Amino acid sequence: MSAAPSLPVRALAALGRPVVAAARATLELWGVLIGTLAGIIRSYGKGGRRPRGAVLAQMYAIGNRSLVFVAVTLGFIGMVMMYQACLQFSRAIGDLSQVGLQFLRLVVSDFGPTLTAMMLATRVGAGIAAEIGSMKVTEQLDALRMSGVLPIDYLLVPRFLASIVMTVALTILGAAIMYGAGGLTAWLSFGVNPRTFFDPAMVQPRHLALGLIKAVTYGAAIPIVSGFCGLRARGSSEGVGWATTAAVVGSSFAVIALDFALSVGALWLFGGDL
Amino acid sequence: MIGERTLTLLGARAIAVTREVGGIALMTGQVLRALLPPRLDGRELVRNLHRMGNRSLPIVALTAFFAGGLMVVQSAPFVKRLGATSLAGWAAGYAVLREIGPILIGLMFSGRVGANNTAELGTMTVTEQLDGLRALAIDPIRYLIVPRVLAMLIMLTALTIIGDLVALVGAAVVAYLVLDIDWRTMYFSFADNLTPHDFFHGVYKSVAFGAAIALTSCYFGVTVKGGAVGVGRAVNAAVVAAAVSIMLLDFFITYATA
Amino acid sequence: MIELRDVGVELGGATLLRGVSLAVPAGARLGVIGPAAAGKSVLVKVMAGLIPPTTGRLIIDGTDVTGWSEEKLAPVRARIGMLFQNYALYDFLDVAGNVGFPLAQRGLAADALGPRVLERLRAVGLAGSEFKQPSQLSGGMKKRAGIARATIAAPELVLYDEPTAGLDPVTTSKVYDLLRADHDASGATAVAVSSDVAGLVTFVTDVVFVYRGQLAYQGPAATLADAPDPLVRQFVSGALDGPLEA
Repeated sequence: MSAAPSLPVRALAALGRPVVAAARATLELWGVLIGTLAGIIRSYGKGGRRPRGAVLAQMYAIGNRSLVFVAVTLGFIGMVMMYQACLQFSRAIGDLSQVGLQFLRLVVSDFGPTLTAMMLATRVGAGIAAEIGSMKVTEQLDALRMSGVLPIDYLLVPRFLASIVMTVALTILGAAIMYGAGGLTAWLSFGVNPRTFFDPAMVQPRHLALGLIKAVTYGAAIPIVSGFCGLRARGSSEGVGWATTAAVVGSSFAVIALDFALSVGALWLFGGDL
Repeated sequence: MIGERTLTLLGARAIAVTREVGGIALMTGQVLRALLPPRLDGRELVRNLHRMGNRSLPIVALTAFFAGGLMVVQSAPFVKRLGATSLAGWAAGYAVLREIGPILIGLMFSGRVGANNTAELGTMTVTEQLDGLRALAIDPIRYLIVPRVLAMLIMLTALTIIGDLVALVGAAVVAYLVLDIDWRTMYFSFADNLTPHDFFHGVYKSVAFGAAIALTSCYFGVTVKGGAVGVGRAVNAAVVAAAVSIMLLDFFITYATA
Repeated sequence: MIELRDVGVELGGATLLRGVSLAVPAGARLGVIGPAAAGKSVLVKVMAGLIPPTTGRLIIDGTDVTGWSEEKLAPVRARIGMLFQNYALYDFLDVAGNVGFPLAQRGLAADALGPRVLERLRAVGLAGSEFKQPSQLSGGMKKRAGIARATIAAPELVLYDEPTAGLDPVTTSKVYDLLRADHDASGATAVAVSSDVAGLVTFVTDVVFVYRGQLAYQGPAATLADAPDPLVRQFVSGALDGPLEA
């Protein structure tokens, strides 16, 4: 009889609204990924128009922005992790000869790519969302469309390709610095012989493969999530700020979730041999 | 030979970084001075605490759960090879409580709350709302900054404590699902090997991280220039500065408390 | 040239346009007026194909383009120029790069592009500013650079979203002089949105009045002040008493 909906109906509606919003956002996110992949084919397929030098310019921008940042943060965290690992090993086993091997395995197959990508999610992700978001709110994306240019092809495709290449490159650098800083800590604070620590023969191809797969996946995920956040920006400076914030959290979380999925997959594949 | 341009560029970078570090130090001083005597706008503090906690609890809990699970997965090969299932909880718990937990939760908090704070203060700055406060003889530091700094510091510490718990649960769940280690083994592995010291080591860090995130995010917010583009750039600078501060503080605290 | 048939637009649960039917013949100059947030900008963006209509049809030169994909719309849009409310100058290009962008995207060689950009910049009074960044221009100069970009590819239809908002009265007159001269020379169709009625009627021949997402009035520009609709009369005269809701 009454016009107002009953309590369960209202509760369902309150629960349903965020679910519907999340489902729509997920759909849009996939749309951005598929649009970008299609954009690569459009731009680099037969007769495609690719903006000249755009990928190189983006690679330079990412490298220039993040080189020192990644080097400093990964160096410090390498020292800290080694320090904590040595403390734990000396308490648990009382023998530090295994520490280098375990550290190398972790740096190559997980910490190197994942922590580098966490830093890039902050640096590169926020940058992409801020750029594309402010172009969206100042109608520059509409202006591109009026000139027959798809914003995803023109803006996101070069960033996507550049991000994959640079994430791999910076991961190699970050992992090397992390490992070097860790070795230095083990030597100076715990007297671990650098010769037993730095033994390149200990690197297993499957660790390298796993690390590489992770770096490529993160490198692809960060611009997609951030570009999606930038393209959703509305309003003025609040909208751009919101998009940038969402990009940092979204791409950081994407890195952690992908890390988990890939690590569990690798463990399932290799078991105790990993 | 290094070109003159490279040197100029490096010099300009160094000056810019120095200016920012100086600016943040100056703001730290202003915040501390505003706290002496501690005249606090309690309502504003509670409002900020509620807002920040509400906004970041889901993402922090999710991150912590995955972080705990990840550490189990990472220690799994070693544990499997040694056949020492009783070590799995210790290895994961130790890494999560001391390092991975505070760092990942700090980074997420910086992205969610710190960045949002920069965007908010930045928007207020470009729309001249801060000048509006000054025109009413209201000190923006005391009225806007201090409650936010305190709220972030308290909230990150609280979230890290909650996150630690969630991470240990995550570790136990993943150990059960992936490694077939039962709950009891995990529980005793935590209880017998982890000390309160491991837990507090991480909590001290979260206090420092909270202060660093708060001060950098407020600083870059109130120094925004140039409209919507400037706000985006400031948010970017704030999260980067917070990440660097977290890593540096982590290093110094680890060594200082060893 | 362009026709809207019973167009409605809904975005995020809000109704922005409702039952809009409008035909703009080739060579016409149509002004769109109305209070803030009435749906004027949405109307021109629908005409440009930037916002897809939720209901109704968009017909350009006798072809129904409703629901076309971005790729399919590209050749249609190549015949339309647009000046955006916020200028929308690309901040990664200088003024010459901005003005030449629509032609460069069609693969025009750089040596053929240069003279055309220069000719257009001279026409809008921006000669000498070609290597400046958009951020170095004043509001009026940005509008003129936007007009140059909108018209460089000799479009058959030009859409102007607030060509004079935020400009001083002298600059406003200059912009309308420029639009008049441009369209007298090219004969292109024009649709101009503006809140500045006095300036607008010196350029357009016909006017539509948009109110709460609907077309409330359609008529010649010359007799706007004596329009039979009290809404329009109040809006044009700026009277405080009347049927308009604040």
